[in-house]
Amino acid sequence: MSLIDFSSDAFIVAFFLYCLAFTFYGVAVMGRRFRKREPEAHTAKWGKIAFYTAVIGLIAQLTYFVTRWIWSGHVPVSNMYEFMTFLSMAIMIAFIVLYILYRKSLLGLFALPLAILIMAYAAVFPQEVQPLIPSLKSYWLGIHVTMAALGDAFFAVGFVAGLMHLLRTVNFGSSDKSSRREQRWLEFCMFMIVVLIGFIVSVYSFRAGGYHAEFSQMKWNEETQQEQVVTVDYDMPPIVAPYDSQAISVQSFIGMQDSFFEAPSWMHGINAARKLNTVLWSVFSGLILYGLLRAIIRRPLAKMIQPALGRMDPDDLDEISYRAIAIGFPIFTLGGLIFAMIWAEVAWGRFWGWDPKEIWALITWLFYSVYLHLRLSRGWQGKHSSWLTVIGFIVVMFTLVGVNLIIAGLHSYAGTD
Amino acid sequence: MSEELKGLIVNTKCECGHQNPVGTVLCEACGKPLADEAASQDILEMRYDGVARRSQKENPGVIDLVWNFFSSVKVAIYLIIMTTIGSMLGSIYPQESTFLNIDPSVYYKEEYGQLGHIYYLLGLSHTYTSWWFVLLLVMIGASLVICSLDRVLPLYKALSRQRVPKHMSFLTRQRVTLQTDVNNEGTAWVDRITPLIRKKGYRVRTDGGTLLAEKQRFSRWGPYVLHIGLIVFLLAVLARGLPGLHMDTHMGFQEGEPKQIPDTSYYLENDGFTVQFYSEEDLPDEFKGKGKVLPEKFETQAILYECEANCDLGQEPELKEVMRHQIEVNHPLNYNGLKAYQFDYDLTPTIISVSPTLVHADSGEEFGQFTLNIRNPERTYEVGPYTMTLKEKYSDFGLNAEGKPSNMSSSQNAPAFLFLIQGPDLPEDGVQYFYFPKQIDKERFQQDALNKQLGGGELRFNLEVGSMEDVELSQSTTYLNIRIDKAMPFVWVGAGIGMLGLVLGFYFQHRRIWLRVDDGKLTLGAHTNKNWFGLRKEISSILKQMDLEVDEKSLVNNGGSQE
Amino acid sequence: MTGKSRKTVQVIILLAILMLGVYAIVTVVMGKEGVPKEGDQVPGFKLLGSDGAVHTLDDFDGQAKVINFWGTYCEPCVREMPALQEQWLKWKDQGVEVIGINVGEDKMTVENFAQKMGVEFPVLMDPNRDAVSDFRVGPMPTTFFVDSSGRIHHIRIGQLDLETLDKQIEQLVNGS
Repeated sequence: MSLIDFSSDAFIVAFFLYCLAFTFYGVAVMGRRFRKREPEAHTAKWGKIAFYTAVIGLIAQLTYFVTRWIWSGHVPVSNMYEFMTFLSMAIMIAFIVLYILYRKSLLGLFALPLAILIMAYAAVFPQEVQPLIPSLKSYWLGIHVTMAALGDAFFAVGFVAGLMHLLRTVNFGSSDKSSRREQRWLEFCMFMIVVLIGFIVSVYSFRAGGYHAEFSQMKWNEETQQEQVVTVDYDMPPIVAPYDSQAISVQSFIGMQDSFFEAPSWMHGINAARKLNTVLWSVFSGLILYGLLRAIIRRPLAKMIQPALGRMDPDDLDEISYRAIAIGFPIFTLGGLIFAMIWAEVAWGRFWGWDPKEIWALITWLFYSVYLHLRLSRGWQGKHSSWLTVIGFIVVMFTLVGVNLIIAGLHSYAGTD
Repeated sequence: MSEELKGLIVNTKCECGHQNPVGTVLCEACGKPLADEAASQDILEMRYDGVARRSQKENPGVIDLVWNFFSSVKVAIYLIIMTTIGSMLGSIYPQESTFLNIDPSVYYKEEYGQLGHIYYLLGLSHTYTSWWFVLLLVMIGASLVICSLDRVLPLYKALSRQRVPKHMSFLTRQRVTLQTDVNNEGTAWVDRITPLIRKKGYRVRTDGGTLLAEKQRFSRWGPYVLHIGLIVFLLAVLARGLPGLHMDTHMGFQEGEPKQIPDTSYYLENDGFTVQFYSEEDLPDEFKGKGKVLPEKFETQAILYECEANCDLGQEPELKEVMRHQIEVNHPLNYNGLKAYQFDYDLTPTIISVSPTLVHADSGEEFGQFTLNIRNPERTYEVGPYTMTLKEKYSDFGLNAEGKPSNMSSSQNAPAFLFLIQGPDLPEDGVQYFYFPKQIDKERFQQDALNKQLGGGELRFNLEVGSMEDVELSQSTTYLNIRIDKAMPFVWVGAGIGMLGLVLGFYFQHRRIWLRVDDGKLTLGAHTNKNWFGLRKEISSILKQMDLEVDEKSLVNNGGSQE
Repeated sequence: MTGKSRKTVQVIILLAILMLGVYAIVTVVMGKEGVPKEGDQVPGFKLLGSDGAVHTLDDFDGQAKVINFWGTYCEPCVREMPALQEQWLKWKDQGVEVIGINVGEDKMTVENFAQKMGVEFPVLMDPNRDAVSDFRVGPMPTTFFVDSSGRIHHIRIGQLDLETLDKQIEQLVNGS
């Protein structure tokens, strides 16, 4: 077995260990209901088991990381698969740091699924080791990307704790205007998480089914100044076809032979229509999934989760959330901005070039500085601050993923399409 | 504080006798809540230790109003939010600066439709160089300076002259507080606990039955150090625009030809350029079999010279080598702040000079050889018995609209030379001869037929190049980005100071514990700027050593209200 | 600190911020629109002339200038050469200098061309396109009409005929 295969196996082992750890957390929380005696001891025991399982999972993932590094000769953070994998690992590290500081094992009940989701998302991208173009051949690649990702991971854990704080404190009993608004938004967050799951489920289902469709599209080539026919490959049944395109081959999917409509003309970025199609499928499968869940549990998801957090002190959650961000902010500043500037200066001769990724790193930084000012100087604590961590996480994810999907720039190397 | 103001102040004298300035929340001396703060029952507002901000005063004038505006954190937050939104808007479509040669008034419409055109009309296509964006940054800078000044000085004063005994309500209204019986005489109890607190790294001061323990006060300066760093950073960025501090130009260097870097006495020579491509099997799957090439590495062997004499234009400069460096992406040349970055390359070879031999067209008899520099040829060449005078020269030969020979561009695409040959057996005013050094041009413009025509139907001569040794080629052209940025060190200094501030502010915590024992009753209050959890744990463990079992959670002050 | 000195400090700080702010905005807005416009000061240059001497903008101080960017490969440039030569002869004694800046070509090409066309006005050579980038010249020919104080009076893109050229120079000299 070659080192790279071993590395991939370690990745899969890590994935399943995380899933197992998550299950144990579930047992820790749910099990207390069935054990009348000593529910505290039960939670503590299973929480510990879950935590150690997660730690072993992290060791497996570190093994993946190190072996892939040795095999490829460069820090494996050079494409989207490698980066997302690293991010999930960084989230686990951030989670463990906060666990050591606060000893709240229940944090894992929410941090783990986030890491698992991101790992699953990573595996959507091509996993082969890719050669580096000259501009990426720098030790700054590793330093900048890993530090920035670690900072983002702390923000993610801040979001996890913030979301837990909201789940714990939003009052489902009340029906006054502000409570109802909170309930709706929190449920919307839950829904978005389900959509994300829907996306991953649909990608893997169609991949497992070997689905394929092809379109030909007329495109203006900027370099040659000529119209050019390009083929667009679909891995999901086309709800929406590319603008001004002809179907070459479309596999039938439950009687669906052709697309329902064409993408509007202004969506003419590379594979824009395919991305839109993926979004539609994600929302579609998310809706079905969410509908099923609601049909089974017969109440909002957030309301169902709330009792699981009943024993946690909301102030502690609020503080964990803030602390995670306070730890992450300097790391992000160093990795995401200062090291990025140093590398940009070395590679391109300008430390700042208003590249979309740079802009969004700055936006992330500005956003969290607003969060910190509001919290420290204007006393925004508790729910206010928790909502900000939720928005902050959206900003972080947009910077990491959205920019690559929607706005391409120098960082488009990351292998998204 | 000012003497004259004191007369205006009405109600700021504390019962402990201390005279506080307007805007003071907690008495500067004993910490007793004043005015509005006293009426409320909640946890005390401890930011800036309750001292008055410098800018707060009655009857503000215009200067004070402007000052107060920038001194407000609320304003600062709005400024940051507006900058954030502005930055977002600017990232929707690529900025004008990402393109080298476009007319933005048509480009955005063509490329992005009506929305793109509106984007351009709103000026968002150059968001980051628009007046309003720069104005926002300037205002953030102003806010950084004024906010910090207004808070750091009073805070410094307040923290450096803290008094140990504090008002009872100051202690009971801290976020961490405790009241319990110790059944002990005050001074003795305090003396007993002092070494325990010291062990945790606190500096302890006592005053009878009262105590003040404090550690890592420097953490409080973190935000201000960060702000100083940001100001240095912004000023450095601004200074980059000063004339002479900054240069940014792209230059092409043919092999073997030193070229002057504009506005400097330096010359740079490309002493060979190499590029390696990834082999087919190394390519990622998406590239395979598509005829795509992916460079693995490209580098320029650069020699940097400094001109020592005859440096003026049009003279032959005397150059002294000062540095050799292999310029690669990520490995620029750097000589005293003059930097050269690998930017691009062109592998089309160009002829620097040829050494053709003049031969008789029919017999092949050789008359002689001469060296023709393509860019800077001589006027006349003596070749054997013949004199060759250069009448015309073209860098990119072609025929114009009127069918006359002409340059088609200024590039060296198709060099051509028109000679007048004079000598034995030739008409008095000589014969004309067209010479195209590149084989492809010889065929394209039918050199022989042309010369036959010029020679009155007879082709007398040929210029022949024997071997490749007679051709001096530049194999490639390397494009370098030449930069000078003298303000850069200050940018890094600013970033460094800012980072230091972040570490101070976020990885250390200023913790203070006050306690007093009155008639065997302990009252404790504690404050930190973050990590209350850790503070409670620390206090609980200290009290445990004093045989007081206190649950960490019970130290939380609920203000008698919530939960 | 007394109230008065505190106020002085405040005023100094606010003034410093104001000045830096104005400087920042002006440079960034100017930097973007570095394209010389009518009414602006003409950019400087330092170029080798076909006469072998180095010429700078200062050499033509106090004179009204017609600065023409051209190349032998640009047909409209070639066509307007006689008009420029004629106007140079007509106006040179009235403090007007016509300056041709050749873009990207070498000395011999320029010399041959000038000889053939009978161009006598000073021709400078810009082989590395330094002046072209300072003047932000796009398509050629481009002609800058600069008054004696160095202000750009008019920018003409495209071929000039004798009459327009004459009219422009007249306006330049009469300062209308």
